[in-house]
Amino acid sequence: MRAALIIAAKDLRQRLRDRTAIVVAVIAPFGLAAIFSTLLGGVEQPLDLAYAYADLDGTQLSQGIREGPLTGIESAGIATVTLVDDRDAARAAVEEGDAQAALIVPAGFESAVTAGAGAELEVIGSIDAGFATDILRSLAESYVAELEGVRLAVALALPGLDDASPAAIAALAERAAAIEPPITVADLDAEAREMSTTTYFAASMAIFFLFFTAQFGVLSLLSERRQGTLPRLVAAPIRPRSIVLGKALGSFALGIVAMAVLVAASSLLLGAAWGDPLGVAILVLAAVTAAMGITALITTLARTEEQAGGWNSIVAVTLAILGGAFFDLSQGPEILSQISFITPHAWFLEGLDLLSGSSSSVVDVATPVAALLGIGLVTGAIGLARAGDLVVRR
Amino acid sequence: MAASLYHRAMAIEQATAAPVLECRDLRKSFGDRVAVDGVGFSIGQSETYGLLGPNGAGKTTTISMICGLLVRDAGSVLVGGAPLDVNAVAAKGDVGFVPQDLAIYPELSARENLRFFGQLYGLGGADLRSRTDEVLEIIGLADRADERTDGFSGGMKRRLNIGIGLLNRPKLLVLDEPTVGVDPQSRNAILSSVESLGQQGMAILYTTHYMEEAERLCDRVGIIDQGQIRAEGTRRELVSLIGQRDRVDLAATGPLVAVAEALRAMPGVNEATAHEGGISLLVDEARTILPRLLESAAATGASVNGVEIVEPDLEAVFLHLTGRALRD
Repeated sequence: MRAALIIAAKDLRQRLRDRTAIVVAVIAPFGLAAIFSTLLGGVEQPLDLAYAYADLDGTQLSQGIREGPLTGIESAGIATVTLVDDRDAARAAVEEGDAQAALIVPAGFESAVTAGAGAELEVIGSIDAGFATDILRSLAESYVAELEGVRLAVALALPGLDDASPAAIAALAERAAAIEPPITVADLDAEAREMSTTTYFAASMAIFFLFFTAQFGVLSLLSERRQGTLPRLVAAPIRPRSIVLGKALGSFALGIVAMAVLVAASSLLLGAAWGDPLGVAILVLAAVTAAMGITALITTLARTEEQAGGWNSIVAVTLAILGGAFFDLSQGPEILSQISFITPHAWFLEGLDLLSGSSSSVVDVATPVAALLGIGLVTGAIGLARAGDLVVRR
Repeated sequence: MAASLYHRAMAIEQATAAPVLECRDLRKSFGDRVAVDGVGFSIGQSETYGLLGPNGAGKTTTISMICGLLVRDAGSVLVGGAPLDVNAVAAKGDVGFVPQDLAIYPELSARENLRFFGQLYGLGGADLRSRTDEVLEIIGLADRADERTDGFSGGMKRRLNIGIGLLNRPKLLVLDEPTVGVDPQSRNAILSSVESLGQQGMAILYTTHYMEEAERLCDRVGIIDQGQIRAEGTRRELVSLIGQRDRVDLAATGPLVAVAEALRAMPGVNEATAHEGGISLLVDEARTILPRLLESAAATGASVNGVEIVEPDLEAVFLHLTGRALRD
């Protein structure tokens, strides 16, 4: 073990003097995370929409709009709704910038709905607030569509109600009235488990570049062989497996240090929220193990440093894409999400997702940690066994 | 010269007494290609043994098995009486290895390189510090000790490469063609260092394809070709295999015919011929007999102005044994 530690310390000293390693391990992932979160993280800012609402109908249905979807988005804290008296006031509010869009319930709206005629809601939007207008239009359309659904259901039910008692008809009407609001805005309470955009990019860049950092260990066996120092290590009075172990320890330590720096830097400088420190630490240890295992296996399949570097790069990029380190796989087909869990990246990001709730703890990441360790131990065992053959010529 | 001859005689005597290295019947094949085929020899304390052969003869494969870098197919290696193989930790500690390549870390300073390998050889604390300083003095890098080695000249790197092999005060120092690609000045410095180490009592295994290095440094030489030791012995013993003798040309004045006759009567002198400007002799061992030749020539009235010794070299021996030149 002493020899392994001496070799690991020497490797770390070499790596720290090699600025390329520092760039790959820390600067590049942090820089890219900062750039991505700056460019793509804008949507994360809380919405602050302003709407005007004019109820020219004054009926139960028009009240439903006010009390349903509009109250919902106000309660969620993403919009304020100002009541105005008429269409002109609504238009004026939009034109003067007091509101980004206005919703107008025209007179006769309820009558039109109950008569089966075309029911129409009016939306006035500012040309400068397309996003806010789209949201309001979407709310209105959903509400109208839902009303239409209810109207059709009642219309279909009525022929069978010829002989029904007034009480049954009244019950039907009550049930129709009590139908769920067409738009529901869920509270994003403290238990919601989803990383912020900044945390996502920091984590995904960290795990992506970890695959380049972790490969240094076994790859350095190839470079030591090329530069002639490997025979000198083997000639020393140490067991050959100490050399492999030393390389693995050096690589592991470098991976841990790089990840720790990235977690700290992204938290302090970018505002990333990684979650429970103990859980993150265990997740990082498991991720480094997985990255080391895979890169050790890939490296030992190669014959030269260049070949190993190329193969590791291809594997790192492929796994990162499959694992959702470059884009959120929830936006894609379900099959992609399922496939992603063959990669350490997906498990790492999943683990951080699970840790992002305020009451999350290390217990929550047991499955991702087990998966990462499983990947690392299986591939690492094969890789390190093969690395032994790089050390001693047979 | 006399000291060197004395050293060689002592070395050979000690070699036969208690071998530091004893390897027997080493064999190694790579696929169908037989790289080493039954190589065996021994080296005693203070003895410098040369493995002389062309590139691809099996020198590096042989020393790779001796140093435990390569798993052998057959044979045995004993260092100080202890078996040595890939996993023989204790026996490896008695061997200093200087590979042909520059086995140093360019990102580290000379001192850091020495300290790292010193630690691997079990040195630590004050012993490591003092031994590192000693070796830096020996290799002449004390004033550049803390500079990164990627700024060193080729010669400095070569010296450091050798210095690392000396850190553990080895019983056996193995040098694999340490002068390949070295400028003449550095080469001479390296050869002087090896001579000095041999005189200090270290057993040395030196591989080379330079005949003149083997002749200068080695007490005994094993001529290796196609994985086999073709012949082994002192230079004199090897030369005697091909029946050639040393020629000594004395540039002299005086009664040259009478002087030649007197010299011819000396033991070890096979022929002495006077000619205009001097005397030519065929002798058994020129370097040994030369002082007595000069003494006798002076005693019989000759005034010797110059001496040239022409010895049959190992190149001729190699050619005789293999039918090829060393550099073919």
